[in-house]
Amino acid sequence: MRLSVAAAISHGRVHRRLGLGPRSRLDMLRNLVTGLVRHERIETHWARADEMRVYAERLIDYAKRGDADEAAMRMADFWLTEKDLIHKLFKVLAPRFQAHSGNYTRLLQIPNRENLDRAKMAVIEYKGNPFPPLIVLHRDNEKTLLNQLLKGYREDILKTRATQAPEGAAASLHTGTAV
Amino acid sequence: MAARWATRCLRSQHARFISTAPASQLSRAEIVQMRNELFTKEKERQLSLYPRIEKIEVKYVGKSHPGTSFVMNKALSTPYNCAMHLSEWHCKKSVLALVDGELWDMYRPLTKSCEIQFLTFKDENPEEVNKAYWRSCAMIMACVLKQAFKDEYSVSLIRAPEVPVISGAFCYDVVLDSRLDDWKPTEDNFRSLTKEAYNLIHKDLPFETLHVDAKVALEMFQHNRYKMDSIEQKASQNPEGIVKLHRFGDFVDISEGLHIPRTSFCFQYEVTAAHNLQTSQSESIRRFQGVSLPVHLKAHHTVWRRLLERSRRLVIEEGSLEAKDGSLEAKTVST
Repeated sequence: MRLSVAAAISHGRVHRRLGLGPRSRLDMLRNLVTGLVRHERIETHWARADEMRVYAERLIDYAKRGDADEAAMRMADFWLTEKDLIHKLFKVLAPRFQAHSGNYTRLLQIPNRENLDRAKMAVIEYKGNPFPPLIVLHRDNEKTLLNQLLKGYREDILKTRATQAPEGAAASLHTGTAV
Repeated sequence: MAARWATRCLRSQHARFISTAPASQLSRAEIVQMRNELFTKEKERQLSLYPRIEKIEVKYVGKSHPGTSFVMNKALSTPYNCAMHLSEWHCKKSVLALVDGELWDMYRPLTKSCEIQFLTFKDENPEEVNKAYWRSCAMIMACVLKQAFKDEYSVSLIRAPEVPVISGAFCYDVVLDSRLDDWKPTEDNFRSLTKEAYNLIHKDLPFETLHVDAKVALEMFQHNRYKMDSIEQKASQNPEGIVKLHRFGDFVDISEGLHIPRTSFCFQYEVTAAHNLQTSQSESIRRFQGVSLPVHLKAHHTVWRRLLERSRRLVIEEGSLEAKDGSLEAKTVST
């Protein structure tokens, strides 16, 4: 059997290879997770952010168990290199996401880096962070022609409903007294 | 019976003109031609006041290209030419221009060095743009109404009342021939009027503007006493006795204010209703109404249908109409 060719072809293999090896990959992701927990919004390579997303969300799931849980504390201790962030994780981030069951992060692609490498960059953030939102939806001004026509239409509908409702109430009152 | 007789009165654009004119009156085609000739003559006369080309400096004060200045020709260059220097986006989107704080038509020539800014449909405050659009749509409807009936049936245009956009429809008051007093326009009639309007829109006619003396305007509109009354009223309001006229294609009309640059700015257009306005005088005034949307603000057909339904209701000008004619009632015409 010729194993070497099969090893060289990478069709369908989904696991990314970052850094210098598996240990280096985990260290790199650990640094990124620490940065994310500290700053709640970071800019990095898209592949690293995508890889880190899974770990960041799993960490929140562990943190939701509470700091009394031994496994949760060991995880937080491993993944957060700056130990003051363990407190932040259990006391700030876990309560924030108590109501949600998943999808604690948002990953958005941004323009490629200006360097020679033109690397594909992304910004990853924990939802509910205190910064201004990344995507701002602009609605058309109220005073445009179409919006003014629609406003007039809406006001008409409300007016007809308002005139019909007291009539309906009066009619039901009359029937009530008749019975 | 009456409806069938009435539909025969509406002719298509390709029918021949019948010049069955009594001796004192000219036929409609001749009146139109006379007006156009006077308009063109006046325009050329105003152009000949500047035999040599003089340069003016126009500074652009808008947000997009801060600090640009153009060197344009006096009384020849228009704000549209300035927009051409900026970009195609500016040409397509600007509806009016703000020259030294004064509102200006896009195709009206600039007369001195000034500061210019462009107004679009999606500005912070597009009130003036909306009003100009409503006025232009009313003028298109007036042109359609003028051409819709056969020559034997007289159509006198009165005026376009200034209705706010939020009322849902623009309107134009006309006085039709006394033989058409009992005529109620049907859906098919409105559809054919709408088709005529779309013909004008697709021809992409520019709106030319001209400021003339009241004398010239009175000469142009000598066959229509309502127009002559309104010319005199406008001339008395203006300190120099100047009246503003607008023309697109063959149709000339007095205007209350500014208009959009071209007819192709309208995308959806529909003539929706005609109401009889009962006045104390013998003649019955008809108010034709319609609704329209520009190319930049298209509506989905579900939304458009609801706006159409709403525009069928009579729109009243704020206050001034009631004050003018003491007993003014409107009877709605069922369509």
